[in-house]
Amino acid sequence: MSETRTVEATGADIEQAIEAGLVQLDVSRESVIVEVLEEPSRGLLGIGAKQARVRLTTAVAPRSAQPTYAPPAPRPAAPPPPPRSEPRPERTERPTYSAPRTSAPQPVRRERSDQDDSYQRVTQLIEDESELPEDVRMGLATLREILGHMHIDASVTVERSLEETDAEAETAPWILHVHGEDLGLLIGHRGETLSSLQYLSRLIASRDLQQRADFIIDVENYKGRREMLLRKLAHRMAKDAVRRRRMVELEPMPPHERRIIHLALKDRDDVYTESVGEGNRRKVTIVPK
Amino acid sequence: MKELVEYVAKSLVDDPSQVEVAVEPDGNLVILKLHVAPEDAGRVIGKDGRVASALRVLLRAMAAREGKRVTLKID
Repeated sequence: MSETRTVEATGADIEQAIEAGLVQLDVSRESVIVEVLEEPSRGLLGIGAKQARVRLTTAVAPRSAQPTYAPPAPRPAAPPPPPRSEPRPERTERPTYSAPRTSAPQPVRRERSDQDDSYQRVTQLIEDESELPEDVRMGLATLREILGHMHIDASVTVERSLEETDAEAETAPWILHVHGEDLGLLIGHRGETLSSLQYLSRLIASRDLQQRADFIIDVENYKGRREMLLRKLAHRMAKDAVRRRRMVELEPMPPHERRIIHLALKDRDDVYTESVGEGNRRKVTIVPK
Repeated sequence: MKELVEYVAKSLVDDPSQVEVAVEPDGNLVILKLHVAPEDAGRVIGKDGRVASALRVLLRAMAAREGKRVTLKID
């Protein structure tokens, strides 16, 4: 399962190129080795401008969401172009879902400007499970049962998103967080195992209740971190599109990830977004207005 | 892996008493055979096979931990 994977990615600057590569690889910043292949140059009056080009290689733990044991990326023995810049090493992807430990709902609302690329989901940790609606309680029981049958030693906590959510799809306010060691296998390639876990848990809970059970399952904050990464990418690419006055195409993504991009940019007045392509080649394009 | 299949199947069918899971280890490969009442086959397979494929994904994750492969057959 721990094959090394490599991608090359480009962007207007090194940071953007890295972001683009991380999205392609579906891993976090800590688990890749970055080689800068080409420094960006602005050229003269935009003529002869060159994009930054980087090569990302996954280190030991490729299944993205293992902050618990992701080791510091070892440097390759003698890389031809030595990894020069380690941009923003202080950045940590951790607390996407922040959890105010209070029992009374505190509608913390953050200003969200349309340029906001440091978005964090505001949530509240629910400590008393008897407060939960029936479908969520049932989901929690089902999830725990499945994890038990999978012999996975993990704990589950519940958080409620305090933000207004869209009626459609992936944004139920209830989030069941699975925590534990070595849960990369529960996430799977591109979150495939996590999707299956959520699908079956919802299905069983709905069947028991004879009504739709609405909750999100996340493992080690995989979806939270992924969402943050995609939002940052969206805003960077939007700036790029505006600056270059050109349409920018993103990598192909599954529907809920495309949705995150569309939502991230919907309030900007300098770009609009559109999905193009068919099936699993479908991707978002960002067009300057 | 057997318990997982049993749990999921029994949670979804109308007649849990007819759910049976047989395990046939074959070297590195684990073959799981799920039997349900004929009327319940649709429930464990799901629309476009979604239930069966989700279950296979979870089984694969479990098997990978032990360095094994797994197949799930439904009759």
